[in-house]
Amino acid sequence: MNHDNQIYVHPAPVRIWHWINAFGFIILIFTGFQIRYADILNLLPLQNAITVHNYVGFAVIFNYFLWLIYYIGSGKIRIYIPDLRTFVSKAIKQMKYYGYGYFKGDPNPHAMTPENKFNAPQQKAYLAIMLILLPAQMISGVFLWKIKGYQDYINILGGIKVIDTIHVLLFFIFTSFIFVHCYLATLGHTPTAHFKAMFTGFEDHHEEHDEEEILENPQLN
Amino acid sequence: MKKMTKLLFTLGLATLFTYTINPASSFAIENSECLECHSDESLTKESTDNILKSDITVNLYVDEEKFNHSVHNINGITCVDCHSDIEELNYDDDLPHKEYLESVCCANCHEEEGEAFKNSVHMEILQKGITMTCYACHGYHYVMPMEAALLAERENNYCLKCHNPYQYHEWLPAQESHFAFVECIVCHAPEVSQQIHLNFVDLVTNKLYQSDEIIDILGINYNEFMPMIDANEDGKINQQEFDSLILMLRQKNVYARFHAELVAVLQPDAHQVKRGMAEKTCEKCHMADSPYFDAVFLLLTHEDGTVDHHEVERDVLESYNMSHFYLMTGTRVKLLDKIGFLLLAGGAFVVMAHFTVRILTIPVRRKRKEDKE
Ligand code: HEC
Ligand code: HEC
Ligand code: HEC
Ligand code: HEC
Ligand code: HEC
Ligand code: HEC
Ligand code: HEC
Ligand code: HEM
Repeated sequence: MNHDNQIYVHPAPVRIWHWINAFGFIILIFTGFQIRYADILNLLPLQNAITVHNYVGFAVIFNYFLWLIYYIGSGKIRIYIPDLRTFVSKAIKQMKYYGYGYFKGDPNPHAMTPENKFNAPQQKAYLAIMLILLPAQMISGVFLWKIKGYQDYINILGGIKVIDTIHVLLFFIFTSFIFVHCYLATLGHTPTAHFKAMFTGFEDHHEEHDEEEILENPQLN
Repeated sequence: MKKMTKLLFTLGLATLFTYTINPASSFAIENSECLECHSDESLTKESTDNILKSDITVNLYVDEEKFNHSVHNINGITCVDCHSDIEELNYDDDLPHKEYLESVCCANCHEEEGEAFKNSVHMEILQKGITMTCYACHGYHYVMPMEAALLAERENNYCLKCHNPYQYHEWLPAQESHFAFVECIVCHAPEVSQQIHLNFVDLVTNKLYQSDEIIDILGINYNEFMPMIDANEDGKINQQEFDSLILMLRQKNVYARFHAELVAVLQPDAHQVKRGMAEKTCEKCHMADSPYFDAVFLLLTHEDGTVDHHEVERDVLESYNMSHFYLMTGTRVKLLDKIGFLLLAGGAFVVMAHFTVRILTIPVRRKRKEDKE
């Protein structure tokens, strides 16, 4: 494969982490839904749903620590930390692009490089998810898994129902996020460019094809 | 109450019956007569253990104080009602009664329980040569009123004396939670009906409140409780009324939460523990309309041991007042479902809206590109 016109944005550990996480999330969302709505959904007996949910939950937690160690170890965690001086104006610019400029065909104000992979709103969303929401989801999940064992902490936080509320609200936020996340991933140079990049690691650097061409001639894709 | 009258009636008949054949027994022997000797803590007798076949010393002391609090004494059952082969005390002898007394048959009075017990696995073991008496579980002199007993007391006093439940329930997740919130026989004697019992707990110290403390704090009598709480007079405490109860306590500087547990109703069926019949279907309980949570009661225990059951509407279990009791699917907070729906719908809306505009504006972008070229 010729990578002349491409840049290497997703190193292998990140790609592996990403797909394990994505797969894990889908299973967690599905089994979590079964657990909470056994009266609506009936695809899996409750007992199996709980067992699967717990195992996959721990796999996702383990995977999370791989991510954390990789990013901190390699110092790459910086790409998640916004530069506070320029952050707000950049974020507004990026939102404007998605909501307006994109439709007109303006170029993306954010040029992707390995050191500067995320645009401003992405940076904010991922930072919140990876350093606050996901850990909160993991901790509340572990508490729900051994209620008696973590009784003292649970009582301090206000009881099992409070823990469950955190777990469930985050579940809805994650599920909603995943919709939007998958859709935004189609807004690359071509609708599948970002998806391919997460497999190969390489993102196109120049505009090879336009989205319109693709929509008209799918074989180019 | 019906049950009691029936029992007392049977008792009455029994006394009448013995009276006609043995007039002497009408001079009832007072407990105090027996206790003259049997309140001596050092009174013992040598005997042989019939399982280990070794010599043992049997303590013949009866704790009067504890006996007086027992359900039997409260209900007027005396020593000789149980030790019914003592018809008179003959003080001419050293020992005023026979040396070997017959063993007491609890089922003489508790016929239905005796009948139900016959069908249980604990009676089955008779074939193996093990006799299980009623008092292996209940004890005899100090049987306490059970109606308001906490689940932990019920389990510790009964099943946990002989069984370690952690050996048998590997398939059950969150075992500790189940054993702490579901009485063993709710699963093991599935014919028995069950109730949710609510008790007041201090939010700060995590200690249970005694009923009389709550009544004192509210500054009322037991029989004023319901009229005060039940604003709409339907005989049930609903969510609103429950909230106002909590508010009332808060105004008296009491921060209460509630401890909920799933216990069996006191009935003879409780004894029908059978092999392989236990409830294993999670969805029986973990289901929004599960019948296991239909009967919810707030219990208040009077000093004399009688218990008031105040019915509470099931919705209360789904509220944050019951923040320490949660069953997946079963008692989920419905408000969260609505918030969740909005979040998901919001995400879907953003995607659909953007996609629509994206399709509609294709010509704009194409034109712009052509212009550029
Ligand atoms: C004068 C003292 C005295 C009085 C009164 C008395 N007991 Fe006893 N009781 C004893 C002694 C002594 C023994 C132990 C006998 C032995 O060593 O075998 C005993 C033994 C017993 C036993 C054990 C019998 C067995 O089979 O192991 C029972 C039950 C009992 N008494 C019940 C009663 C009851 C009920 C009363 C009142 C109706 C009563 N006793 C009144 C002195 C007394
Ligand atoms: C609810 C029925 C009941 C009542 C009421 C009752 N007993 Fe007993 N008692 C028993 C049973 C059952 C045993 C155990 C017999 C056995 O082990 O075979 C027993 C055993 C005893 C023993 C033998 C020692 C022991 O503790 O095992 C003594 C002594 C005794 N009772 C005295 C009394 C006296 C005195 C009273 C009244 C204050 C009294 N009992 C009231 C049921 C009763
Ligand atoms: C294996 C332990 C065990 C044995 C043995 C046992 N019980 Fe029970 N008993 C219980 C439990 C558990 C309950 C119900 C408690 C509850 O509802 O939570 C109960 C409840 C009772 C009650 C009150 C409920 C009702 O039916 O009004 C009576 C009375 C009773 N038992 C009598 C007896 C008699 C009589 C025997 C002997 C034939 C006996 N028990 C043997 C465990 C036992
Ligand atoms: C002389 C009759 C009589 C005998 C014998 C008797 N009981 Fe009772 N028992 C009663 C009465 C009366 C009550 C109170 C009414 C009721 O709750 O059913 C009672 C209540 C109970 C309760 C119910 C407690 C509650 O909270 O409802 C239990 C458990 C019990 N007895 C166990 C036993 C055991 C175990 C024995 C044998 C050691 C026994 N009884 C022997 C008459 C008797
Ligand atoms: C006095 C001791 C004792 C108490 C108390 C007791 N059990 Fe048992 N239980 C036994 C014995 C002995 C067996 C027979 C074990 C066997 O057959 O190998 C048994 C058997 C059982 C079984 C069937 C076990 C099997 O191996 O198939 C169940 C279920 C059970 N008990 C439940 C209970 C429950 C629930 C309680 C409380 C209400 C209770 N037991 C209280 C002694 C006790
Ligand atoms: C959620 C329901 C549930 C609860 C609560 C529960 N059990 Fe069980 N238990 C079961 C089931 C189901 C089995 C499997 C055997 C069967 O089907 O009877 C079992 C098995 C057992 C066995 C072995 C019986 C056998 O046949 O091998 C014992 C003994 C036992 N339980 C005791 C207890 C005791 C003691 C408690 C209370 C501390 C308790 N259980 C609470 C559902 C329950
Ligand atoms: C008899 C009713 C009953 C049955 C049957 C039952 N559960 Fe439960 N379950 C409960 C109760 C009550 C709780 C405790 C709620 C609490 O911790 O506040 C509970 C708690 C739990 C928990 C802890 C998390 C939570 O929601 O609090 C899990 C996990 C669970 N059950 C799974 C199961 C599975 C899997 C099965 C079937 C194998 C099952 N249960 C069968 C009543 C039941
Ligand atoms: C990260 C993504 C996760 C999602 C989207 C998710 C989602 C859910 C959902 C929707 C429920 C049902 C809640 C209810 O019934 O009220 C649930 C329950 C549960 N989750 Fe998760 N979960 C995740 C991670 C985890 C993790 C990491 C664990 C840790 C082991 C875990 C453990 C549990 C347990 C034990 C329950 C059942 C207890 C209960 O419902 O009260 N979850 N989860």
